[in-house]
Amino acid sequence: MTPHITQEQADEYAIGSLEPEMERVVALHLAECPACRDVARDSERLASRLGLSTPITPPAAPARLRRKVFTSAGISRPSLHRRAYTYGRAIAGVAAAVVALLAFTAMLGLRGQVNDLQEQNAAFQLELDDFRSARIEVAALTDKVSEQARAAALAEANARQDRELQVALLSPDATTAEVTSITGDDRAVGRIVWDGAQNKLWFVATNLERLDYGKTYQIWVNNGGQYVPLGTFNADATGFIRYVTEIPEGLGGYDSAAVTIEKAGGSDQRTSAPVFVANLEGIGR
Amino acid sequence: MHAEIAVGLHAGEGLALDTHGTWTDEALMLAITLRDRTAFATIYDRYADLVYSTSLRILADTQLAEDVTQDVFVRLWNRPETFVAERGRFLSWLMSVSRNRAVDLLRARGRRRAREVESLIPTEEYAAVVAPDEDPAHAALLHEEQWQVRRALKELPDDQRRALELAYFGGLTQQEIAATLHEPLGTIKTRIRLGMMKLRRALESER
Repeated sequence: MTPHITQEQADEYAIGSLEPEMERVVALHLAECPACRDVARDSERLASRLGLSTPITPPAAPARLRRKVFTSAGISRPSLHRRAYTYGRAIAGVAAAVVALLAFTAMLGLRGQVNDLQEQNAAFQLELDDFRSARIEVAALTDKVSEQARAAALAEANARQDRELQVALLSPDATTAEVTSITGDDRAVGRIVWDGAQNKLWFVATNLERLDYGKTYQIWVNNGGQYVPLGTFNADATGFIRYVTEIPEGLGGYDSAAVTIEKAGGSDQRTSAPVFVANLEGIGR
Repeated sequence: MHAEIAVGLHAGEGLALDTHGTWTDEALMLAITLRDRTAFATIYDRYADLVYSTSLRILADTQLAEDVTQDVFVRLWNRPETFVAERGRFLSWLMSVSRNRAVDLLRARGRRRAREVESLIPTEEYAAVVAPDEDPAHAALLHEEQWQVRRALKELPDDQRRALELAYFGGLTQQEIAATLHEPLGTIKTRIRLGMMKLRRALESER
């Protein structure tokens, strides 16, 4: 749940002065927080009283509007009681005229019904549009929340990996090996950290060259002449990589590690010469 | 309360013809959920002018104000259950719905105005809100409440009242108000906060 709203935010929400994005955030919170809903309702009651300050000066609502509203609401005529109250004995006086106009009225009635249906249809279309707009807004909001959740999860995962690497570097069970560039690119600096206690291997490097689309770095350990793949990675925009992987069970001996460039997704067998190597003799056993 | 409503409904249907005008708004709304057309007519006559005037103030367009008034009352008839008496007074709900519909229309048409909002204090006496055949006691109560709100607003400093009016009647956000008045955003936020605080205090002390 998002943080509770303040009285100030509730007031701003009630008089409609919040920016649209913040208004959506507040509305989303109110939908799930009864306590804040009570605060917001109190503010809305206060704000609604502002409307009462409007002076009723002529022209007020036109008389024809009343008829229009009743027709649109599907109330072609006021109820019997109201008509009796409103018109009383005058109805008797105009009875003859009513009879004379009956046919004409029937025609108008039909037209009125058609108009009613058309107006109801238009109102329904408006409601449908409102509903669609609301759905789009909710979808956009959901996307945004998901995106924020993904970013938060990624940041948390990175922080966790940093902590684990720090633990590994401080651990007496961990050993490190320098990574050497085969291509002669002496800008790249890297280390392999092997932590038997955590059963993990890190490949940490800076100034790595960014690879073209469709290619990836892949790390291997040489186990008695056989290269075992330990996963793929790519450097970030700054050329930094902190790659961690579990050491496979049954990996009893290893002499060196190598990094090759493979097709995206990695390969079962090495398809290119190493670009980096590290001597692992004497570590991790 | 329920007994009163039940008696009122019974009387309205079978005995007296003119009792609807004395019913409370909430009783009328309950009757509307039971498809009582006279109750709807009474509510309309009681508040159509207020809804129309508020809409006209926001939209500054008689045709659009009529559209909003029509929309508000047709929705009220078709979906009376959207008003929940336990959540507050009918009048507060009606004002919120009317204002929101008017501002939605204003924004949808891209007609946000940075205009001066007219003074809230009318030079002439406020005119009658209810239809002539409505209950005079109800009309008097409504007039009293309108007077209280105007007085509370009148007592606010001009800059605070203006910020509230531009937000509520002008449909402007804080940033838009700041741009309109050429003031920092923080100043506008403070004015709105203080204005609402003073308004709350003034109107609560009237109860």
